[in-house]
Amino acid sequence: MRAKFFMVAGAAILLIAAVLYSLSGSKDYRSLNAKLTAAQIMHNPQRPLSTFSLSDHNGDVFNNNSLMGDWSLVLFIYTHCPDVCPTELANMAMLKAQLKNKHAAIIPKVVAITFDPLRDTPKVLKTYVAHFDKAFIGVSGDTQQIDQLVKDLGAYYERVVYDEAGKPITLKKHEPLPDDAIEKGYVINHTARVYLMSPDGQVLAGFPTPHKVDDMANDIELLIKAFEE
Amino acid sequence: MLNNIKKILFILVAFVSITATNAASHAHQNNHVNHQITITDPWIRSAPINAPALGLFMNISNNTNQEVRLISAHTKGYKRIELHRTIDSNGVMKMVKQAFMPIPAHAKLHLKPGSWHIMLIAPEQVPSEGEQVSVSLKFNDGSTQTIQVLVRKGGMMMQHHSMH
Repeated sequence: MRAKFFMVAGAAILLIAAVLYSLSGSKDYRSLNAKLTAAQIMHNPQRPLSTFSLSDHNGDVFNNNSLMGDWSLVLFIYTHCPDVCPTELANMAMLKAQLKNKHAAIIPKVVAITFDPLRDTPKVLKTYVAHFDKAFIGVSGDTQQIDQLVKDLGAYYERVVYDEAGKPITLKKHEPLPDDAIEKGYVINHTARVYLMSPDGQVLAGFPTPHKVDDMANDIELLIKAFEE
Repeated sequence: MLNNIKKILFILVAFVSITATNAASHAHQNNHVNHQITITDPWIRSAPINAPALGLFMNISNNTNQEVRLISAHTKGYKRIELHRTIDSNGVMKMVKQAFMPIPAHAKLHLKPGSWHIMLIAPEQVPSEGEQVSVSLKFNDGSTQTIQVLVRKGGMMMQHHSMH
């Protein structure tokens, strides 16, 4: 009986120690939540970003290392998007201007990864993203690698084609596009979150829509300060 | 005598018809107003030179006693022009093609980023910022309006926030 008690107590102490250790090993950003107006904390050291290798709009490798050393704002786009994606990119340009006006010490770089590498080659992205800001980085590459990043960041997309009668058909995740899809066109339904990546190449926070640049700028300053303290 | 009266009548009719034509053409130039359906602030979002699709936005006011539907839009130099609405479904932004855009009686429909918009697909040449594009809009009451649309910049917050 006594032995059993010590075993249970010992296990409980070990469990508490493990929890304390895991918490002390990383910062807890949840206390920031009350101050944040636009961002949601996504920091989770237990689930680091998978290893990925893609191409930037100049055709150079864009991988985990490309997100290290600097702060970045990562978003997913596709260039055939007439509404949501250009709005997001225009908002990112305004957000940078807002941070500049506030004399922010750090202005994150903006990385736009395509949901649609079939149509959005690095060359296409180079012309497209530069329209919004010359410093924006467009990223394309292998679909599976992009899908892994989409999954890691909790994003989502689905492709929609139209049948002869104009009725929309949502394709399943790995369902191939019909042969005439490029000719007839297809759209993509997608999440439109913007992710703030810290210089360790990991996601710190996410910004859901709508993207109010004033609120985002304030939150970015708070998050950077908390990370660097 | 009779001939004189005929002459006077002829001059009178000619004068009235010229005045009426002038008034009509003046009304036509007067900022897209036909008193029943009014279009204000039409704009196309300036886009990259290789943009495969552009967004066209505006306010449509219906001053009649019944619902009016925008059924199509036409302008030169695009492969297709479609009516769309962006719908936020639990964070997933869905672009849904529409057969028409309903403008309720005595109400306004605001075509804006993240909401109702006209999609200009596969441009022969993307218009540049500051350019004016002629677009005609067809309604279900049989009327058509041709409007001049300005190409300008615009994010979601452009209308509400000024940069300091």
